[in-house]
Amino acid sequence: MSEIAPLIVERVIRASPARVFAAWTTPELMTRWWGPEGVAATGVEIDLRVGGRYRIGNRLPDDKVIWIAGIFEQITAPGPTDEPARLVYTWGVEPAESDEQVAVVFLPDPAGTRVHLTHTRIASQRQRDNHMHGWAGCLDGLEGLEF
Amino acid sequence: MSSAPKSTDEDQLDLIFHALANRTRRAQLAMLAQGPVTISELAAPFDMTLPAASKHLKVLEKAGLVTREIDGRVHRCSLRPDPLQRLQAWTETWQHFWSGSLDALARFIEAESQGDDDV
Repeated sequence: MSEIAPLIVERVIRASPARVFAAWTTPELMTRWWGPEGVAATGVEIDLRVGGRYRIGNRLPDDKVIWIAGIFEQITAPGPTDEPARLVYTWGVEPAESDEQVAVVFLPDPAGTRVHLTHTRIASQRQRDNHMHGWAGCLDGLEGLEF
Repeated sequence: MSSAPKSTDEDQLDLIFHALANRTRRAQLAMLAQGPVTISELAAPFDMTLPAASKHLKVLEKAGLVTREIDGRVHRCSLRPDPLQRLQAWTETWQHFWSGSLDALARFIEAESQGDDDV
């Protein structure tokens, strides 16, 4: 089930994997960049250890705040080894259970870091469609705005 | 957009995911994506009997992914787009979210890096 329709997004960022990893795992830094246009982080809590929890408050364009939360399942910090830095965590929009999964790999790249993100396990989340409607509505609004 | 999903929607999602969680049925769907086909045509490339192909097809039909028209002895199957569009909506929503977030991360880090050689 978890293999169905995974979503993959990649971006090359002009900074070292260590810096990008830090931006992704430090609440003070994440607050400053998190979210697409129109979405702002209202609060970020990160307990960076396997089994540790994170929560991210997201203020949507209509001022509604939703919390995305989950548990870290795998953490490979950037280091001198060949293994790329990696984060795997569960993902869900509260109050639904966090039964989706996000994996982020910070691959060294000549230009800096290639961030490779996979969002999976979409099958089982019970309240997914409720959130979907909320998101889709916001995105429809966003698309109508000129930034 | 619309009100909260009814449990029948959830039941339908279960059926869709069950139908998609099989490589033969996914291959059948891929074939149907080229246009309507008969059950014999559907069975041929998979080296399977008609009853076996038909069994998979029933799962796809139950999920609402495929419809079957019966014309005498010929059963013609077509893909129905609606259930897949629900999955597509999910993908598009988070695609937007992540894509926008990574753009924001790039802007943030690159702004911080200006006048800073620690890259």
